[in-house]
Amino acid sequence: MANIDINAAGQSQLFIGNEAIARGALEAGIGFASAYPGTPSSEIIGSLAEVAKKQNIYVEWSVNEAVALEAAAAASYAGLRSLAAMKMNGLNVASDFLATIVLSGIGKKGLVLMVGDDPAAHSSSNEEDSRAVSKWLDIPMVEPGDFQEAKDMMKWLYELSEEIGSICMLRSVTRVAHARGNVRLGEIPATEHKARFENILDPRNTMPTSIMTIPTPLRHAFQHMKLDKARARFEESSFNRYVGPEKPDLLIITCGSGWLYAQDAVNTLKLESRVGILKLGTIWPLPENLVKKCLARADKVLFLEETDPFLEATIMEYSSSLSLESRRNIFYGKHTRHINAFGELTPDAVIKAIAAVLDIKYEVRDAAYVKKIEAVPQDYIMERMLTFCPGCPHRASYWSIKNALMMDGRGGFVTGDIGCYSMALGPAGFFMNRTHQCMGAGSGLANGFGQLWRFGFDQPVIAVCGDSTFYHSIMPALVNGVHNRANFVLVIFDNGATAMTGFQPHPGTELTAMGEPAQQISMEAICQAIGARVEICDPFDLKATTATLLDLLEQEQGARVAIMRRPCELVRSKKEKPPYKVKIDPEKCLGDDCGCNRLCSRVFRCPALVWDPVAGKTRIDEVICSGCGVCVDICPEGAISKEEVVLA
Amino acid sequence: MVTKTKGIGDLFKEVIDKGLCTVCGACVGDCPYMVFYRGKIRMLDFCNRTEGHCYEYCPRTYTDMDAISNKIHGASYSGDEIGTARQVLMARAGDVKTRTKGQYGGAVSALLALALDNSLIDAAILSKNTDDKLPSGFVARSAAQVLEGAGSNYMAYPALEALNRMPKDSKDKLGIVVTPCQAIALAKMTASPPTQRVSMSNVQLSIGLFCTWALAYDRFYEFLKNNVSPAKIKKFDIPPPPANRLDIYIDKEVKSYPLDDIRNYRMSTCAYCLDMTAEFTDISVGAAEGVDGWNTLIVRTQRGSEIVDAAVKGGKLETRELPASNLKHLKEAALLKKTRAMAEIVKRTGDKNDLLYLGMSKTVRDKLLS
Amino acid sequence: MKKLYKDPVNLIVSGVGGQGNVMVSLVLGNALVAGGYFITIGETYGASQRGGSVMSHVRISSEKQFSPLIAEGQGDIIVGMEPVETLRMLKQFGNMNVVTIVNPRPIHAVDLIGSGAGAYPDLPKLLGQIKDLSAKTYVVHATDEAQKMGNPMLANMILIGALLKTGLLPLDETALDTVIKEMFPKAVAPNIKALKAGMELVSILR
Repeated sequence: MANIDINAAGQSQLFIGNEAIARGALEAGIGFASAYPGTPSSEIIGSLAEVAKKQNIYVEWSVNEAVALEAAAAASYAGLRSLAAMKMNGLNVASDFLATIVLSGIGKKGLVLMVGDDPAAHSSSNEEDSRAVSKWLDIPMVEPGDFQEAKDMMKWLYELSEEIGSICMLRSVTRVAHARGNVRLGEIPATEHKARFENILDPRNTMPTSIMTIPTPLRHAFQHMKLDKARARFEESSFNRYVGPEKPDLLIITCGSGWLYAQDAVNTLKLESRVGILKLGTIWPLPENLVKKCLARADKVLFLEETDPFLEATIMEYSSSLSLESRRNIFYGKHTRHINAFGELTPDAVIKAIAAVLDIKYEVRDAAYVKKIEAVPQDYIMERMLTFCPGCPHRASYWSIKNALMMDGRGGFVTGDIGCYSMALGPAGFFMNRTHQCMGAGSGLANGFGQLWRFGFDQPVIAVCGDSTFYHSIMPALVNGVHNRANFVLVIFDNGATAMTGFQPHPGTELTAMGEPAQQISMEAICQAIGARVEICDPFDLKATTATLLDLLEQEQGARVAIMRRPCELVRSKKEKPPYKVKIDPEKCLGDDCGCNRLCSRVFRCPALVWDPVAGKTRIDEVICSGCGVCVDICPEGAISKEEVVLA
Repeated sequence: MVTKTKGIGDLFKEVIDKGLCTVCGACVGDCPYMVFYRGKIRMLDFCNRTEGHCYEYCPRTYTDMDAISNKIHGASYSGDEIGTARQVLMARAGDVKTRTKGQYGGAVSALLALALDNSLIDAAILSKNTDDKLPSGFVARSAAQVLEGAGSNYMAYPALEALNRMPKDSKDKLGIVVTPCQAIALAKMTASPPTQRVSMSNVQLSIGLFCTWALAYDRFYEFLKNNVSPAKIKKFDIPPPPANRLDIYIDKEVKSYPLDDIRNYRMSTCAYCLDMTAEFTDISVGAAEGVDGWNTLIVRTQRGSEIVDAAVKGGKLETRELPASNLKHLKEAALLKKTRAMAEIVKRTGDKNDLLYLGMSKTVRDKLLS
Repeated sequence: MKKLYKDPVNLIVSGVGGQGNVMVSLVLGNALVAGGYFITIGETYGASQRGGSVMSHVRISSEKQFSPLIAEGQGDIIVGMEPVETLRMLKQFGNMNVVTIVNPRPIHAVDLIGSGAGAYPDLPKLLGQIKDLSAKTYVVHATDEAQKMGNPMLANMILIGALLKTGLLPLDETALDTVIKEMFPKAVAPNIKALKAGMELVSILR
């Protein structure tokens, strides 16, 4: 990650949107930042953590997003500007606190919640548009349209937050948060953070002054007044911009990623004189006067946004309150199917939509070139599927899980969860994961299945989770399972990191976000304390792991835990050399003959096991082989051997 | 032997999922895609080959009885009650110890001991019981080790798995004890030997066990767990008719159970088996009706004959003439199994031209259906 | 500030996760930002580390910030670190004027090809397709050259050197030297050597 506290005020740096947001937070003088890793938001706390000591601020990877937001709120109560960051699913987890802090208010210093949405779910399990929460819970929200804004909005937002006394939100999407662009830097103030919670009881004061949500309807009304104040600020904000002719043929209303796409498209179609763009940086509440003025410029209005028709709906809703003469617009967008209401916004979709609304023909490419493209054989451009890295302990764990369930033979199955091991939905994990929703879902489902024996259910259930996931949301499910005597096996993949999102620490690891020694929390101790039977396995020992799993499955009663403990290969390989040199003896390799049929490369599918169709044998790709040696026990012919690497 | 070889998919579709699997073990031991576990053959992964030894050797895929009979005995399948028999004798082990440990007369143990001692074989593939009385394959290399595997527990067990597990380049001469269905699989393997396993020419001696039916491992084991402590069981015995009971020897006492109840734990596939006396082996051994402590022994091949002679000469085996009434009853029982099975097969297929997995001449078929 | 041959210049760096795609776009981006240009880079991230296709879209402008994604058929320069990935980019973003630099070193689709379920296309035919779809193609054996230098990861810098020599970007060796010193302070010499090697490889091709 880039060095976000670089001393280069006035100069331009190439930052990703999240780094710009983090820099913006520093320039706003924050003292506290907390988050749970989630794409596309992780780099905010990631980059702040790297400079935390130097900048004398506190940065934390919290166990989950609810705690992260609560912790950040505490800092605000104690007089520090603070930031919480999470992906859209994290917002779901934190939403109860979010709903209530809106009513109970913040402290003297601003509190900003950043949420990163992932349209098209490049790194997520669902598509969600977090802008809805601003209208739903009455929270002022902004969204940057480019990288400079991502930084500049932060200081402005803290000022707003303090002026109106409310939590404020900054929403971004993958194509801004993870894209890189020019950011001209400002100064990072030297802030002295002094923390004190002023709202303590003064016995002389009979008025209740706790930070609270009651009387609720009244506090709800207060929040609406705060929104009105925010709206007034939004009317004046330079984050809302109109570019284009006075009276365009088409008015585009957009925010976030749509801003740059719209400009690009107008550029490509050469429609600068016909198309105007209103870019809203303030998402909610609507700057109504500004919107009204822009709506008067053109008849045709096209909304460009992702993922849901949020501006489309709120502005159409607003326009219906205008006088009949003012209501002259024809609105285009997702409700007219000019833009997809699912997936992400793309430059191609934007060009197509504008051309369609203005009835313009646009040839994407020269017809002769298109013919050439069509002549390219389909199998020249093969798909590269996602799979576990060579040496990943998940591959070995799932091999044992598969064998145990198949041998058990009672139709047992795995309920999946979120992490690298989610890839077990596919061939990487032998299609073992049979359900997939959110953090904690696997164990929650297992609790339900585990009670259905009353209705004839006799299939063994294995819920899986990662180590970070365990602390995040599995513990309550395990408590429920043991207390209510549900029947299921919980398999925890303990690879020592929050791997999928970038190897962030979690309560089981040695260091905190800021690199200090952490109090490591033993997951087996927790499971035992809850009252589950716990077995610890080395997933690389296929035989023992399979036997342990079979034993656990056979027990049938109660919640049982198996911890698969082996470090993530990417983490391990940074510290150590490969443990073994692995070789395949082509004489012994049966290839695709009966008795083998390429079990290692075709079924086990480690990327380092490469099938050579010419030789009719599998060989090891030495460049990517991690030297873990697990495949030695896969080969039915003993053709794979490993030799310990002796360090000279 | 087989008109068309198919693969694992068809094996499961046609045999295992249809409840026809006899758990002979011919398909496991050398294949990483299947494993025998708790009484059943389980598929771990899908081997997408369209042709495989698993289908080829299975005694419940198409079996050309003439081809097998020709291969083993040089004659077409006649449908005779006890198959090709050079001699039918009564026999028992020469020494008391073997007799006591062994089933009935301990003849199987005695023959194997002799074969090992005379280096006619280097290893014998048997099954022996674990403490929980679950049979598992093992390789015996001495007479003493053979005795560890003595005694029957009447459960179907994949003995051929142990054969498939022998190292590919093993030079060991092998003896193997098989049930009738396993003998058929063994014959198929001999006719079309696998190249990636131990050579079939290593198999020097096959001893068949008389078998009316076998008990399903998982269900019978449940019964055992619920009625006795499996670890305490010393021996099982189903005395010949008219006893009609299963005796379980535990320490000093014997617990008996009506055979009619025990029959509930039979494998359903046994209903379709024609072979009571293991017709396609060198020597077949079973109980001797009405004669305690003796086996009925059928010598079928030249090899079998040589070994029995050597055993008798060496004092390892005592033989006597089998009383005519015993032979008559044996043949009756064997024929009954054939006719019952044929009836069940035709009942299942609904067509006497479809004998499920069997191929035989129309003459023999009609003879057995009449 | 040197004028761009068009505005914006749409550059795509494509390869397989783990090849160092992001690094190439960062080096170029940082050098160009220092030169006063507006740079926007959009890329695929995260899960792509584990063997998937990756592409970085680099928008270069002297006027303003462009969006992080290039529209269909609007690629100007393609730097392909792997042949199939290069063809993949041409299919979606190529046009009659596109200039392509390709490192002809195949990386198998570990799941598809490694498992035997598919086969890597015939390389000469693949390169032929690439040439057919480009106005000009530079085949730069970057991995081979890097292995000669003892480190396959230097292929990235070699490709940057090659790109430099085409003259399509307003960058010279000095600009790259500065960036290398900033970004790789512990490995300045090998990276500069690789840069020069890349430039040399293109000189030979001319």
